[in-house]
Amino acid sequence: MSYIPQILKSLKNLPPFPMVAQRALMLLSKPEVSIQEMVEVVKYDPAITANILRISNSAYFGLRREIHSLHQALMLLGTQELLKIIIASGATRLFAGATPGYFPERQGLWRHSVSVALMTDLLARELSLGDRAMAFTGGLLHDIGKLVLSLFVEKKFTEIMEVVLGQGVSFQEAEKRVLGVDHAELGGEMARLWDFPDRLRLVIMLHHLNKRQGFGDDLVQAVYLADLLVLMFGQDLSADGLAYTGYPEVMQHFHLRERDLQKVLLQFGSAWQEAQAFFGLMGNINGVQCSHR
Amino acid sequence: MQIVVGVADLKVSNKEEDVIVTHALGSCIGVAIFDPVARVGGLLHFMLPDSSLDPAKARDNPFMFADTGIPKLFRDCYALGAQKPRLKVKLAGGSQVLGGEEHFQIGRRNYAAVRKIFLKNNVLIDKEDVGGMRARTMFLEMASGRVWVKTVGQDNLEL
Repeated sequence: MSYIPQILKSLKNLPPFPMVAQRALMLLSKPEVSIQEMVEVVKYDPAITANILRISNSAYFGLRREIHSLHQALMLLGTQELLKIIIASGATRLFAGATPGYFPERQGLWRHSVSVALMTDLLARELSLGDRAMAFTGGLLHDIGKLVLSLFVEKKFTEIMEVVLGQGVSFQEAEKRVLGVDHAELGGEMARLWDFPDRLRLVIMLHHLNKRQGFGDDLVQAVYLADLLVLMFGQDLSADGLAYTGYPEVMQHFHLRERDLQKVLLQFGSAWQEAQAFFGLMGNINGVQCSHR
Repeated sequence: MQIVVGVADLKVSNKEEDVIVTHALGSCIGVAIFDPVARVGGLLHFMLPDSSLDPAKARDNPFMFADTGIPKLFRDCYALGAQKPRLKVKLAGGSQVLGGEEHFQIGRRNYAAVRKIFLKNNVLIDKEDVGGMRARTMFLEMASGRVWVKTVGQDNLEL
């Protein structure tokens, strides 16, 4: 039996995408963003301004002087870095609910999403992909489909896992077989409803590279690889484990060898600790030791 | 007391009330050793097989790599009175993604690195739960020396 009608019906109750983040997304696709445009996006939201100052002054950026104003943050960090902070901090509300189908902990999906955002950002730098803010955002929002599909995955978890183990397919493929739709497709649908930029929508929809079309954009492949690396790194404790399909084509595409992946993991180890301020946007998150578990 | 071992980290103990735990091992491997006579044990969570990748980082944090972390794990336990012939050695982690025969083998390489180091130093692995595609959490209970592996959605497994 297919769950597609029920799942699509649940999209009708989809909350709106947070407005500040929405406005920032629109700036992602613009080649040049003026300081005035950035100020316009955040000026009515004091919480976001506070977050910007907190993250700007965190270990992640390692600035020598303290930043006291939005303007100063813009001057010192530049629009790309600032867009990342605005989108991450605007999107937190979306991730506030639990996703028990995938993560036993309430903030599991948020932690995973921030990790993939940081990892994609790191890869984009290593591979000179440009569009750093777009890369970060693609990583951050790649799994939004899980927000909605979690409920259904939770009900059918045993069945999905049986397909994973019995047929040796990825968790995402097993979702598709059991529920009729997987979290990537559903995420793409949500991105359409929320009017995301097209490129971002495609990253979300294709991030498992299960369709040929996914190989057409560097960013899709970067998010895919980042997702995989984050799973290897561990720490997210997700119910689907490492049941992902590895595509060697991506390595060839980026001219990467396994040793390069090891180096990226090593760098991520430090970046991840310095980026605790990003994880902490949700509040109640303890230090790097994950002692809240 | 629960003592948490982070990524690329090591904790040792000789206190009965301690439980040493490391969360969510993906391709990383957790190595737990315990001396039941001295009641000394330690848990290492390393990320990568070989420190030749980045010797400077390895000096900074030897626990990142198998070849620098494992000797430190044993030495720190010896310092608390453990003796090599009595040590029980258990492993967990080293998971892999599907179909990554050539390029996504970090889990398997981590495991191979441990085996090689142990072979060279005459250390036997008593129990292990390695490979596959699960993310594991590993516990070492100092009161009993027992080691547990926990996976989301599954029963605990004693090693």
